[in-house]
Amino acid sequence: MLKVENLESGYGSMQVLWQPSIEVKRGAITSLLGPNGVGKSTLLWTILGSVEPWRGSITYEREDVTRLPAHKKVDLGITLVPEGKHLFVEMTVHENLVMGAYRKEALKSMDESLALVYTLFPVLKERAKQKAGSLSGGEQQMVTIARALMTKPTLIMLDEPSQGLAPKLVGEVFATVEKLKAEIGLTILLVEQNAEAALNASDYVYIMHEGTIKAEGTSEKIRKSHEIREAYLGI
Amino acid sequence: MGMTGYVDFGYVTFIALGAYGMSLGITYFYQVEGLGIWIVFIGFLLALLLASLSALLEAFIALRLRGAYFAIACIGINEGLRHFIEGAKLWGGSEGLIFSGSLIQAVGRETANQLTTFWADLAVFIIAALAAFLNIHYMRSKIGYALTAVKEDEDAAKVMGVNTTKYKTIAFLTSGLLGASVGAVAWGLKLGYVFPGDVFVIHYTVECIVVVLLGGAGTLLGPVVGGLIYGLSKYWLAIIWPGFQLLIFAPIIIIIIVLFPEGVVGMLKNRVRGTALERYLL
Repeated sequence: MLKVENLESGYGSMQVLWQPSIEVKRGAITSLLGPNGVGKSTLLWTILGSVEPWRGSITYEREDVTRLPAHKKVDLGITLVPEGKHLFVEMTVHENLVMGAYRKEALKSMDESLALVYTLFPVLKERAKQKAGSLSGGEQQMVTIARALMTKPTLIMLDEPSQGLAPKLVGEVFATVEKLKAEIGLTILLVEQNAEAALNASDYVYIMHEGTIKAEGTSEKIRKSHEIREAYLGI
Repeated sequence: MGMTGYVDFGYVTFIALGAYGMSLGITYFYQVEGLGIWIVFIGFLLALLLASLSALLEAFIALRLRGAYFAIACIGINEGLRHFIEGAKLWGGSEGLIFSGSLIQAVGRETANQLTTFWADLAVFIIAALAAFLNIHYMRSKIGYALTAVKEDEDAAKVMGVNTTKYKTIAFLTSGLLGASVGAVAWGLKLGYVFPGDVFVIHYTVECIVVVLLGGAGTLLGPVVGGLIYGLSKYWLAIIWPGFQLLIFAPIIIIIIVLFPEGVVGMLKNRVRGTALERYLL
Protein backbone atom coordinates (compact mmCIF):
# COMPACT_ATOMS: atom_id res chain seq x y z
CA MET A 1 0.00 0.00 0.00
CA LEU A 2 2.77 2.40 0.97
CA LYS A 3 6.29 1.99 -0.28
CA VAL A 4 9.19 4.18 0.73
CA GLU A 5 12.42 3.74 -1.18
CA ASN A 6 15.83 5.19 -0.34
CA LEU A 7 14.32 8.28 1.19
CA GLU A 8 16.59 11.13 2.17
CA SER A 9 15.53 14.24 4.05
CA GLY A 10 16.45 16.46 6.94
CA TYR A 11 16.28 19.96 8.36
CA GLY A 12 18.33 22.75 6.85
CA SER A 13 21.63 21.23 5.88
CA MET A 14 21.42 18.47 8.46
CA GLN A 15 20.53 15.16 6.89
CA VAL A 16 18.42 12.94 9.12
CA LEU A 17 17.20 10.17 6.84
CA TRP A 18 19.88 8.10 5.11
CA GLN A 19 17.93 6.09 2.57
CA PRO A 20 15.58 4.00 4.66
CA SER A 21 13.22 1.79 2.63
CA ILE A 22 10.03 0.38 4.09
CA GLU A 23 6.84 -1.16 2.87
CA VAL A 24 3.50 -0.98 4.64
CA LYS A 25 1.01 -3.71 3.75
CA ARG A 26 -2.72 -3.04 3.62
CA GLY A 27 -4.60 -3.96 6.77
CA ALA A 28 -1.48 -4.71 8.76
CA ILE A 29 0.29 -3.08 11.67
CA THR A 30 3.82 -2.21 10.68
CA SER A 31 6.14 -0.94 13.37
CA LEU A 32 9.21 1.21 13.25
CA LEU A 33 11.35 0.59 16.30
CA GLY A 34 14.56 2.12 17.52
CA PRO A 35 16.01 4.47 20.11
CA ASN A 36 15.55 8.23 20.36
CA GLY A 37 16.91 10.49 17.65
CA VAL A 38 17.35 7.97 14.84
CA GLY A 39 14.88 9.67 12.52
CA LYS A 40 11.67 7.73 13.12
CA SER A 41 9.49 10.82 13.51
CA THR A 42 11.27 12.54 10.63
CA LEU A 43 10.44 9.55 8.44
CA LEU A 44 6.76 9.88 9.33
CA TRP A 45 6.67 13.65 8.73
CA THR A 46 8.48 13.16 5.43
CA ILE A 47 5.96 10.54 4.35
CA LEU A 48 3.17 12.99 5.23
CA GLY A 49 4.89 15.69 3.23
CA SER A 50 5.47 18.23 5.97
CA VAL A 51 9.23 17.67 5.80
CA GLU A 52 10.40 17.88 2.23
CA PRO A 53 12.08 14.79 0.78
CA TRP A 54 15.47 15.39 -0.83
CA ARG A 55 15.84 12.16 -2.75
CA GLY A 56 14.16 8.79 -2.96
CA SER A 57 10.53 7.97 -3.57
CA ILE A 58 7.24 7.46 -1.77
CA THR A 59 4.59 5.38 -3.52
CA TYR A 60 1.05 5.14 -2.22
CA GLU A 61 -1.46 2.80 -3.87
CA ARG A 62 0.97 2.51 -6.81
CA GLU A 63 1.03 6.25 -7.32
CA ASP A 64 4.11 8.38 -6.90
CA VAL A 65 3.35 10.79 -4.07
CA THR A 66 6.92 11.80 -3.20
CA ARG A 67 6.40 15.53 -3.73
CA LEU A 68 2.76 15.78 -2.66
CA PRO A 69 2.21 18.36 0.13
CA ALA A 70 0.68 17.25 3.43
CA HIS A 71 -2.85 18.52 2.81
CA LYS A 72 -3.08 16.56 -0.45
CA LYS A 73 -1.87 13.43 1.32
CA VAL A 74 -4.66 13.83 3.85
CA ASP A 75 -7.08 13.83 0.91
CA LEU A 76 -5.59 10.53 -0.21
CA GLY A 77 -6.34 9.04 3.20
CA ILE A 78 -2.98 9.34 4.92
CA THR A 79 -2.80 10.95 8.33
CA LEU A 80 -0.44 11.19 11.26
CA VAL A 81 -1.00 11.25 15.00
CA PRO A 82 1.91 13.38 16.16
CA GLU A 83 4.04 12.62 19.17
CA GLY A 84 2.96 14.34 22.37
CA LYS A 85 -0.49 15.73 22.83
CA HIS A 86 -1.27 18.01 19.95
CA LEU A 87 -4.79 18.83 21.02
CA PHE A 88 -6.73 22.05 20.85
CA VAL A 89 -6.75 22.20 24.64
CA GLU A 90 -9.13 25.13 24.97
CA MET A 91 -11.78 23.43 22.84
CA THR A 92 -14.15 20.70 23.93
CA VAL A 93 -13.60 17.10 22.93
CA HIS A 94 -16.46 17.37 20.46
CA GLU A 95 -15.02 20.55 18.92
CA ASN A 96 -11.65 18.85 18.56
CA LEU A 97 -13.26 16.02 16.66
CA VAL A 98 -15.20 18.39 14.41
CA MET A 99 -11.94 20.23 13.65
CA GLY A 100 -10.54 16.93 12.47
CA ALA A 101 -13.12 16.69 9.70
CA TYR A 102 -11.59 19.65 7.91
CA ARG A 103 -11.10 18.44 4.36
CA LYS A 104 -14.11 18.49 2.06
CA GLU A 105 -14.47 14.73 1.81
CA ALA A 106 -14.10 14.31 5.55
CA LEU A 107 -16.71 17.01 6.21
CA LYS A 108 -19.27 15.23 4.05
CA SER A 109 -19.15 12.11 6.18
CA MET A 110 -18.64 13.87 9.49
CA ASP A 111 -21.73 12.45 11.21
CA GLU A 112 -20.74 8.96 10.20
CA SER A 113 -17.19 9.45 11.44
CA LEU A 114 -18.43 10.92 14.71
CA ALA A 115 -20.67 7.92 15.31
CA LEU A 116 -17.79 5.57 14.55
CA VAL A 117 -15.39 7.41 16.84
CA TYR A 118 -17.88 7.49 19.71
CA THR A 119 -18.50 3.75 19.36
CA LEU A 120 -14.79 3.05 19.37
CA PHE A 121 -14.17 5.35 22.33
CA PRO A 122 -17.35 5.46 24.43
CA VAL A 123 -15.54 7.44 27.12
CA LEU A 124 -15.12 10.33 24.68
CA LYS A 125 -18.86 10.53 24.27
CA GLU A 126 -19.20 11.02 28.03
CA ARG A 127 -16.52 13.70 27.88
CA ALA A 128 -17.76 15.33 24.67
CA LYS A 129 -18.58 18.68 26.31
CA GLN A 130 -15.45 18.83 28.46
CA LYS A 131 -12.40 20.87 27.53
CA ALA A 132 -9.82 18.60 25.93
CA GLY A 133 -7.12 20.03 28.17
CA SER A 134 -8.93 18.83 31.30
CA LEU A 135 -8.81 15.16 30.30
CA SER A 136 -6.36 12.59 31.65
CA GLY A 137 -3.27 11.70 29.64
CA GLY A 138 -4.74 8.47 28.31
CA GLU A 139 -7.99 10.15 27.31
CA GLN A 140 -6.13 12.96 25.57
CA GLN A 141 -4.23 10.39 23.54
CA MET A 142 -7.59 8.87 22.58
CA VAL A 143 -8.85 12.27 21.43
CA THR A 144 -5.76 12.75 19.24
CA ILE A 145 -6.30 9.36 17.64
CA ALA A 146 -10.03 9.99 17.32
CA ARG A 147 -9.43 13.36 15.67
CA ALA A 148 -7.12 11.68 13.18
CA LEU A 149 -9.91 9.19 12.41
CA MET A 150 -12.19 12.11 11.54
CA THR A 151 -10.06 12.75 8.43
CA LYS A 152 -11.32 9.36 7.11
CA PRO A 153 -7.89 7.82 6.75
CA THR A 154 -6.99 4.48 5.24
CA LEU A 155 -3.42 4.70 6.49
CA ILE A 156 -2.78 6.11 9.93
CA MET A 157 0.70 6.79 11.23
CA LEU A 158 1.06 6.85 15.00
CA ASP A 159 4.09 8.53 16.51
CA GLU A 160 4.80 7.08 19.95
CA PRO A 161 1.21 6.84 21.14
CA SER A 162 2.25 5.29 24.45
CA GLN A 163 4.75 8.02 25.35
CA GLY A 164 4.36 9.41 28.83
CA LEU A 165 1.53 7.10 29.80
CA ALA A 166 1.28 4.91 32.88
CA PRO A 167 2.04 1.22 32.18
CA LYS A 168 -1.61 0.29 32.55
CA LEU A 169 -2.62 2.89 29.95
CA VAL A 170 0.11 1.73 27.57
CA GLY A 171 -1.76 -1.57 27.32
CA GLU A 172 -4.96 0.32 26.61
CA VAL A 173 -3.39 2.34 23.81
CA PHE A 174 -2.08 -0.78 22.13
CA ALA A 175 -5.48 -2.43 22.51
CA THR A 176 -6.90 0.61 20.72
CA VAL A 177 -4.37 0.33 17.92
CA GLU A 178 -5.26 -3.33 17.40
CA LYS A 179 -8.92 -2.39 17.45
CA LEU A 180 -8.36 0.12 14.64
CA LYS A 181 -6.94 -2.68 12.55
CA ALA A 182 -9.49 -5.33 13.46
CA GLU A 183 -12.69 -3.30 13.52
CA ILE A 184 -12.26 -0.71 10.80
CA GLY A 185 -9.55 -2.36 8.77
CA LEU A 186 -7.12 0.53 9.00
CA THR A 187 -3.55 0.16 7.87
CA ILE A 188 -1.21 1.30 10.60
CA LEU A 189 2.36 2.49 10.67
CA LEU A 190 3.47 2.66 14.27
CA VAL A 191 6.55 4.32 15.69
CA GLU A 192 7.44 3.15 19.16
CA GLN A 193 10.14 3.07 21.78
CA ASN A 194 8.26 0.56 23.86
CA ALA A 195 9.63 -2.36 21.85
CA GLU A 196 8.07 -5.18 23.84
CA ALA A 197 4.51 -3.90 23.49
CA ALA A 198 4.99 -2.94 19.84
CA LEU A 199 6.36 -6.39 18.97
CA ASN A 200 3.27 -7.97 20.44
CA ALA A 201 0.91 -5.80 18.44
CA SER A 202 2.71 -5.70 15.07
CA ASP A 203 2.64 -7.89 12.03
CA TYR A 204 5.89 -6.62 10.58
CA VAL A 205 8.73 -4.70 12.15
CA TYR A 206 11.50 -2.44 10.92
CA ILE A 207 14.43 -1.54 13.12
CA MET A 208 15.70 1.94 12.51
CA HIS A 209 19.13 3.20 13.48
CA GLU A 210 21.17 6.24 12.45
CA GLY A 211 18.62 7.33 9.90
CA THR A 212 18.24 4.06 8.07
CA ILE A 213 16.76 0.58 8.37
CA LYS A 214 19.12 -1.89 9.99
CA ALA A 215 16.88 -4.93 10.25
CA GLU A 216 13.39 -6.06 9.41
CA GLY A 217 11.13 -9.06 9.72
CA THR A 218 7.94 -10.41 11.17
CA SER A 219 7.60 -9.77 14.89
CA GLU A 220 8.23 -13.49 15.41
CA LYS A 221 11.54 -13.27 13.66
CA ILE A 222 12.67 -10.12 15.44
CA ARG A 223 11.66 -11.51 18.81
CA LYS A 224 13.66 -14.68 18.20
CA SER A 225 16.79 -12.94 17.00
CA HIS A 226 19.04 -12.34 20.00
CA GLU A 227 21.38 -10.30 17.87
CA ILE A 228 18.80 -7.75 16.83
CA ARG A 229 17.29 -7.51 20.26
CA GLU A 230 20.59 -6.91 21.93
CA ALA A 231 22.04 -4.58 19.33
CA TYR A 232 19.09 -2.28 18.78
CA LEU A 233 16.27 -2.86 21.22
CA GLY A 234 17.96 -3.55 24.50
CA ILE A 235 15.42 -6.20 25.52
CA MET B 1 -2.96 39.15 13.38
CA GLY B 2 -4.64 37.63 16.41
CA MET B 3 -5.98 34.84 14.30
CA THR B 4 -2.79 33.00 13.43
CA GLY B 5 -1.11 33.38 16.80
CA TYR B 6 1.92 34.86 15.08
CA VAL B 7 2.64 38.14 16.83
CA ASP B 8 3.51 40.45 14.00
CA PHE B 9 6.06 43.00 15.09
CA GLY B 10 6.29 44.09 11.50
CA TYR B 11 2.85 45.59 11.29
CA VAL B 12 4.24 49.11 11.22
CA THR B 13 6.21 48.12 8.13
CA PHE B 14 2.92 47.72 6.29
CA ILE B 15 1.72 51.11 7.44
CA ALA B 16 5.05 52.68 6.52
CA LEU B 17 5.09 51.10 3.09
CA GLY B 18 1.51 52.27 2.61
CA ALA B 19 2.56 55.82 3.39
CA TYR B 20 5.53 55.46 1.05
CA GLY B 21 3.41 54.01 -1.74
CA MET B 22 1.08 57.00 -1.65
CA SER B 23 3.99 59.44 -1.44
CA LEU B 24 5.78 57.82 -4.36
CA GLY B 25 2.66 57.82 -6.48
CA ILE B 26 2.13 61.51 -5.97
CA THR B 27 5.80 62.54 -6.10
CA TYR B 28 6.64 60.74 -9.30
CA PHE B 29 3.41 61.10 -11.23
CA TYR B 30 2.19 64.61 -10.42
CA GLN B 31 3.75 66.11 -13.53
CA VAL B 32 2.26 63.57 -15.89
CA GLU B 33 -0.36 65.35 -17.94
CA GLY B 34 -3.98 64.33 -17.65
CA LEU B 35 -3.61 62.08 -14.62
CA GLY B 36 -5.03 64.65 -12.23
CA ILE B 37 -6.69 62.99 -9.28
CA TRP B 38 -5.72 59.56 -10.56
CA ILE B 39 -2.29 59.97 -9.00
CA VAL B 40 -3.94 59.32 -5.66
CA PHE B 41 -5.20 56.01 -6.96
CA ILE B 42 -1.80 55.19 -8.41
CA GLY B 43 -0.33 55.98 -5.00
CA PHE B 44 -2.87 53.69 -3.37
CA LEU B 45 -2.06 50.87 -5.78
CA LEU B 46 1.67 51.33 -5.17
CA ALA B 47 0.96 51.17 -1.43
CA LEU B 48 -0.89 47.88 -1.88
CA LEU B 49 1.85 46.51 -4.11
CA LEU B 50 4.67 47.36 -1.72
CA ALA B 51 2.76 45.97 1.24
CA SER B 52 1.92 42.76 -0.63
CA LEU B 53 5.60 42.23 -1.32
CA SER B 54 6.56 42.72 2.31
CA ALA B 55 3.61 40.61 3.48
CA LEU B 56 4.78 37.80 1.23
CA LEU B 57 8.27 38.21 2.64
CA GLU B 58 6.89 37.95 6.17
CA ALA B 59 4.77 34.95 5.27
CA PHE B 60 7.87 33.35 3.77
CA ILE B 61 9.61 33.85 7.12
CA ALA B 62 6.60 32.70 9.10
CA LEU B 63 6.74 29.43 7.20
CA ARG B 64 10.17 28.84 8.63
CA LEU B 65 10.32 30.53 12.01
CA ARG B 66 7.91 30.43 14.90
CA GLY B 67 7.28 32.39 18.08
CA ALA B 68 9.86 34.88 19.24
CA TYR B 69 12.16 34.14 16.29
CA PHE B 70 9.46 35.25 13.91
CA ALA B 71 8.84 38.44 15.89
CA ILE B 72 12.54 39.29 15.85
CA ALA B 73 12.79 38.63 12.12
CA CYS B 74 9.91 41.04 11.50
CA ILE B 75 11.57 43.75 13.56
CA GLY B 76 14.63 43.02 11.45
CA ILE B 77 12.74 43.61 8.22
CA ASN B 78 11.35 46.86 9.56
CA GLU B 79 14.68 48.24 10.77
CA GLY B 80 16.45 46.90 7.70
CA LEU B 81 14.07 48.68 5.35
CA ARG B 82 14.39 51.93 7.25
CA HIS B 83 18.17 51.87 7.18
CA PHE B 84 18.15 50.79 3.57
CA ILE B 85 15.99 53.74 2.55
CA GLU B 86 18.16 56.10 4.58
CA GLY B 87 21.49 54.61 3.58
CA ALA B 88 20.87 53.96 -0.09
CA LYS B 89 19.17 57.36 -0.42
CA LEU B 90 16.26 55.55 -1.94
CA TRP B 91 13.03 57.50 -2.30
CA GLY B 92 14.60 60.65 -0.93
CA GLY B 93 16.61 58.79 1.72
CA SER B 94 16.49 60.25 5.21
CA GLU B 95 15.15 63.51 3.85
CA GLY B 96 11.94 61.74 3.02
CA LEU B 97 9.37 62.75 0.49
CA ILE B 98 7.42 65.97 0.82
CA PHE B 99 4.63 66.03 -1.68
CA SER B 100 1.82 68.25 -0.44
CA GLY B 101 2.99 70.85 -2.98
CA SER B 102 2.97 68.30 -5.79
CA LEU B 103 -0.53 67.24 -4.88
CA ILE B 104 -1.74 70.84 -5.04
CA GLN B 105 -0.07 71.28 -8.41
CA ALA B 106 -1.69 68.16 -9.79
CA VAL B 107 -5.25 68.59 -8.60
CA GLY B 108 -5.53 72.20 -7.46
CA ARG B 109 -5.61 73.64 -3.96
CA GLU B 110 -9.26 73.09 -3.28
CA THR B 111 -9.38 69.46 -4.33
CA ALA B 112 -6.14 68.80 -2.48
CA ASN B 113 -7.61 70.22 0.70
CA GLN B 114 -10.71 68.10 0.35
CA LEU B 115 -8.65 65.01 -0.39
CA THR B 116 -6.43 65.38 2.65
CA THR B 117 -9.28 66.07 5.02
CA PHE B 118 -12.71 64.77 4.15
CA TRP B 119 -11.79 61.99 1.70
CA ALA B 120 -8.84 60.74 3.70
CA ASP B 121 -10.97 60.46 6.84
CA LEU B 122 -13.80 58.82 4.97
CA ALA B 123 -11.35 56.32 3.48
CA VAL B 124 -10.10 55.40 6.96
CA PHE B 125 -13.67 54.65 8.03
CA ILE B 126 -14.26 52.58 4.92
CA ILE B 127 -11.06 50.64 5.54
CA ALA B 128 -12.07 50.06 9.16
CA ALA B 129 -15.46 48.79 8.03
CA LEU B 130 -13.82 46.60 5.43
CA ALA B 131 -11.44 45.22 8.05
CA ALA B 132 -14.35 44.41 10.35
CA PHE B 133 -16.24 42.77 7.51
CA LEU B 134 -13.24 40.66 6.48
CA ASN B 135 -12.70 39.71 10.08
CA ILE B 136 -16.27 38.47 10.48
CA HIS B 137 -16.14 36.76 7.14
CA TYR B 138 -12.88 34.98 7.99
CA MET B 139 -14.08 33.92 11.43
CA ARG B 140 -17.22 32.34 10.04
CA SER B 141 -15.68 30.64 7.05
CA LYS B 142 -13.22 27.88 6.39
CA ILE B 143 -10.39 30.41 6.56
CA GLY B 144 -11.13 31.12 10.22
CA TYR B 145 -11.38 27.41 10.91
CA ALA B 146 -7.97 26.83 9.32
CA LEU B 147 -6.35 29.84 11.00
CA THR B 148 -7.67 28.77 14.40
CA ALA B 149 -6.11 25.36 13.89
CA VAL B 150 -2.80 26.94 12.87
CA LYS B 151 -2.89 29.20 15.92
CA GLU B 152 -3.76 26.50 18.42
CA ASP B 153 -1.40 23.84 17.12
CA GLU B 154 0.33 23.95 13.80
CA ASP B 155 1.30 20.30 13.74
CA ALA B 156 -2.26 19.28 14.49
CA ALA B 157 -3.45 21.57 11.70
CA LYS B 158 -1.09 19.88 9.26
CA VAL B 159 -2.16 16.35 10.06
CA MET B 160 -5.82 17.19 9.62
CA GLY B 161 -5.05 18.51 6.17
CA VAL B 162 -4.89 22.27 6.59
CA ASN B 163 -2.73 23.85 3.92
CA THR B 164 -0.82 25.88 6.49
CA THR B 165 1.30 27.66 3.88
CA LYS B 166 -1.72 28.96 2.04
CA TYR B 167 -3.60 30.21 5.08
CA LYS B 168 -0.60 31.87 6.67
CA THR B 169 0.00 33.70 3.40
CA ILE B 170 -3.65 34.76 3.26
CA ALA B 171 -3.44 36.06 6.82
CA PHE B 172 -0.31 38.08 6.16
CA LEU B 173 -1.56 39.45 2.87
CA THR B 174 -4.82 40.57 4.44
CA SER B 175 -3.04 42.23 7.32
CA GLY B 176 -0.48 43.78 4.96
CA LEU B 177 -3.06 45.19 2.57
CA LEU B 178 -5.19 46.66 5.35
CA GLY B 179 -2.14 48.13 7.07
CA ALA B 180 -0.92 49.66 3.83
CA SER B 181 -4.36 51.14 3.10
CA VAL B 182 -4.38 52.83 6.48
CA GLY B 183 -0.81 54.03 5.96
CA ALA B 184 -1.60 55.36 2.50
CA VAL B 185 -4.60 57.46 3.48
CA ALA B 186 -4.22 58.21 7.18
CA TRP B 187 -0.52 58.90 6.95
CA GLY B 188 0.57 59.55 3.40
CA LEU B 189 -2.35 61.42 1.95
CA LYS B 190 -3.32 63.21 5.12
CA LEU B 191 0.05 64.56 6.14
CA GLY B 192 1.57 65.19 2.75
CA TYR B 193 5.05 64.03 3.71
CA VAL B 194 6.86 60.92 4.82
CA PHE B 195 10.19 60.44 6.59
CA PRO B 196 11.72 57.00 7.19
CA GLY B 197 12.45 57.83 10.84
CA ASP B 198 8.80 58.71 11.39
CA VAL B 199 7.04 55.78 9.86
CA PHE B 200 9.24 52.75 10.53
CA VAL B 201 8.82 53.12 14.27
CA ILE B 202 8.57 49.95 16.30
CA HIS B 203 6.72 51.91 18.98
CA TYR B 204 3.57 51.95 16.85
CA THR B 205 3.68 48.22 16.41
CA VAL B 206 4.11 47.77 20.13
CA GLU B 207 1.12 50.04 20.71
CA CYS B 208 -0.90 48.02 18.20
CA ILE B 209 0.03 44.79 19.94
CA VAL B 210 -0.78 46.18 23.37
CA VAL B 211 -4.16 47.34 22.09
CA VAL B 212 -4.91 43.94 20.59
CA LEU B 213 -3.77 42.02 23.66
CA LEU B 214 -5.68 44.31 26.01
CA GLY B 215 -8.87 43.84 24.07
CA GLY B 216 -8.43 40.22 23.14
CA ALA B 217 -6.50 38.71 20.23
CA GLY B 218 -8.51 36.99 17.54
CA THR B 219 -11.73 38.82 18.41
CA LEU B 220 -13.47 41.50 16.43
CA LEU B 221 -14.40 43.87 19.25
CA GLY B 222 -11.14 43.28 21.09
CA PRO B 223 -9.02 45.83 19.25
CA VAL B 224 -11.80 48.43 19.52
CA VAL B 225 -12.20 47.93 23.27
CA GLY B 226 -8.44 47.70 23.73
CA GLY B 227 -7.96 50.88 21.70
CA LEU B 228 -10.50 52.74 23.82
CA ILE B 229 -8.93 51.61 27.07
CA TYR B 230 -5.43 52.32 25.84
CA GLY B 231 -6.17 55.66 24.19
CA LEU B 232 -8.30 57.05 26.98
CA SER B 233 -6.08 55.94 29.85
CA LYS B 234 -2.96 57.21 28.10
CA TYR B 235 -4.68 60.55 27.56
CA TRP B 236 -5.92 60.88 31.14
CA LEU B 237 -2.65 59.76 32.67
CA ALA B 238 -0.87 62.38 30.61
CA ILE B 239 -3.17 65.04 32.06
CA ILE B 240 -3.15 63.82 35.65
CA TRP B 241 0.55 63.13 35.86
CA PRO B 242 2.28 64.66 32.90
CA GLY B 243 5.70 63.29 32.07
CA PHE B 244 5.19 60.18 34.18
CA GLN B 245 2.37 58.66 32.18
CA LEU B 246 4.47 55.93 30.55
CA LEU B 247 6.04 55.02 33.88
CA ILE B 248 2.62 54.36 35.38
CA PHE B 249 1.17 53.01 32.20
CA ALA B 250 3.60 50.13 31.78
CA PRO B 251 2.81 48.40 35.11
CA ILE B 252 -0.92 48.91 34.52
CA ILE B 253 -0.64 47.11 31.20
CA ILE B 254 1.37 44.32 32.78
CA ILE B 255 -1.26 43.91 35.50
CA ILE B 256 -4.11 43.84 32.99
CA ILE B 257 -2.36 41.27 30.84
CA VAL B 258 -1.59 39.07 33.82
CA LEU B 259 -5.18 39.31 35.07
CA PHE B 260 -6.85 38.86 31.68
CA PRO B 261 -4.46 36.90 29.52
CA GLU B 262 -7.15 36.58 26.88
CA GLY B 263 -7.93 40.27 26.85
CA VAL B 264 -11.07 42.00 28.05
CA VAL B 265 -13.28 40.75 25.23
CA GLY B 266 -11.68 37.31 25.37
CA MET B 267 -12.50 37.09 29.06
CA LEU B 268 -16.08 38.26 28.56
CA LYS B 269 -16.42 35.75 25.75
CA ASN B 270 -15.43 32.93 28.08
CA ARG B 271 -17.88 34.14 30.72
CA VAL B 272 -20.84 34.10 28.37
CA ARG B 273 -19.88 30.88 26.66
CA GLY B 274 -22.98 28.86 26.00
CA THR B 275 -25.43 31.65 26.76
CA ALA B 276 -27.49 33.71 24.34
CA LEU B 277 -25.06 36.61 24.66
CA GLU B 278 -22.32 34.62 22.98
CA ARG B 279 -23.62 35.40 19.53
CA TYR B 280 -23.16 39.14 20.00
CA LEU B 281 -19.60 39.08 21.28
CA LEU B 282 -17.44 38.74 18.23
